[in-house]
Amino acid sequence: MFENKNTGLLLVLPAAVFASVLFLLPVGILLSEAFTGSEGGFSLGAYVEFFSSELNNTVFWRSLRLGLWVMLTSAVIGYAAAFSIVQLSPKSRGRVFALIILPLMISPVARTYAWLVILGRTGLVNQVIVGLGLSEEGLQLLFTETAVFIGLLQLFLPLMIIALISSMENMPRDVVPAARVLGANWFSVFFRVILPLTREGLVVGGTLVFAGSMTAYITPAILGGSKVLMLETLLYQRVTVANDYAAASVIAMILVVMSIVTNLLLKRLAKPRNRRA
Amino acid sequence: MKPSSTATGTIIGLTLVFLIGPFIVIILAALTAGNNLAFPPDGLSLKWFIKVFTVESFRISFLISMFLAVFGTLTALIVGVPAAYAIARYDIPGAGAIQLAVSSPLIVPGIIVGLALLRYLVIPTGFTIMAALFLAHAALILPYAVRVVTSSLQNLRVDVEEAALILGCSRLGSFFRVVFPNIRGGILAAFILGFVTSFNQVPVSLFLSGPGVRTLPIDMLAYMETTYDPSVAALACLLAIMSVGIVFLAERFLGFSRYV
Repeated sequence: MFENKNTGLLLVLPAAVFASVLFLLPVGILLSEAFTGSEGGFSLGAYVEFFSSELNNTVFWRSLRLGLWVMLTSAVIGYAAAFSIVQLSPKSRGRVFALIILPLMISPVARTYAWLVILGRTGLVNQVIVGLGLSEEGLQLLFTETAVFIGLLQLFLPLMIIALISSMENMPRDVVPAARVLGANWFSVFFRVILPLTREGLVVGGTLVFAGSMTAYITPAILGGSKVLMLETLLYQRVTVANDYAAASVIAMILVVMSIVTNLLLKRLAKPRNRRA
Repeated sequence: MKPSSTATGTIIGLTLVFLIGPFIVIILAALTAGNNLAFPPDGLSLKWFIKVFTVESFRISFLISMFLAVFGTLTALIVGVPAAYAIARYDIPGAGAIQLAVSSPLIVPGIIVGLALLRYLVIPTGFTIMAALFLAHAALILPYAVRVVTSSLQNLRVDVEEAALILGCSRLGSFFRVVFPNIRGGILAAFILGFVTSFNQVPVSLFLSGPGVRTLPIDMLAYMETTYDPSVAALACLLAIMSVGIVFLAERFLGFSRYV
């Protein structure tokens, strides 16, 4: 720790100014538009108008619903996967862990594009369905909520698994065997031992997955198209197709508020252990 | 009493199939000798991988993405390393607010930043799209650069610097001759993290694209809207191989995961 505060301030100032001028200022102006009426002055008109449209309502609730579903599903799979991975020997645990985080390094466009090949009209899944004689010409899987759900789940599941593994590694080693010896079945082991001890990891993973899904652009753009719009694809469409900046600023406000809440939550919870968040 | 290893093995296997399987599908689909995106592929050939290099818009947008990733990250480091040094070594007044400003690019969703920069920077001031893209990417990488370099500075003992100062080295001299060689690994890790983040970035660049100016991922999105052939699959493979290769080498020679 050095004494001269002014030198420190001088060193940190360019970064702070850079980020403020490029991020906070323009975004602040954009958000303030969501509260400005058509003749200037404060108004909530943009919100009233936004939520009076059926399409906007559908998209808002769909994003919320998909976010929750992806979060819940990734929690269920994440617990099973994380618990299994922690049982491995340290060496194979490292290998599996590397494979789990590998997808995070790859372009989300590339990751999502793979699902076109799998879920398309002549894709892998439909070949199996037609081959088994379950349907004549295959099902419409792309541009459905299910496709977006699957894409988002694959995109964000690693975050949940990582969060759960790190909190399970902090769990005392013998609690699960102890509970088993004392006669608890796996159901009560999970709800009475594992869940309470890994609550923190669940909240960290859950908020990351939920916020990530709600604010996703690439996955709904590729797998949902204009049929299954989510908040960010709706924002893009409102601006490019309809020049509707009022709606865009309302969506922006929803997204920003959600991100801030998520970040506050993560900061409070993750401070002691997780340097990354 | 442990859970059976068949059960845990199956769970891990299924999870990995779900997470990694799509990549194998896309690699095989890209290797097709046919003209349609299909799995299993229709014969094997490298023709779609070769085709990728002949698409002019891909070549241009690849260079733009490369430029943004390299120079955006360098800019972020030039601004970010002094900030990291100040955060790690000085007791700055208003540190909370400053840290919040520096990390704001992580909090605000990228699509909004792109739209805001387009409306309030590019349109009113006549800034070029390219300049706005460059600044936006640099600002986006800044929080990563600051965080990684700060933590690598915090792991470096202050004594060595104090020793250099007592022995008559100037402040600046001690930074370049004592501190910098010791945090080189952290700076390189920050560079790699910033590069990968910028290169794969979509939302910020979404609104910031104009005639002839598009980043590679945006160009791929546009291409797949009009054309349904395996070239995007081949390009996706090449990008995946590039990212994985960079991270693998970084881990091998640098112990990348220590820093991020």
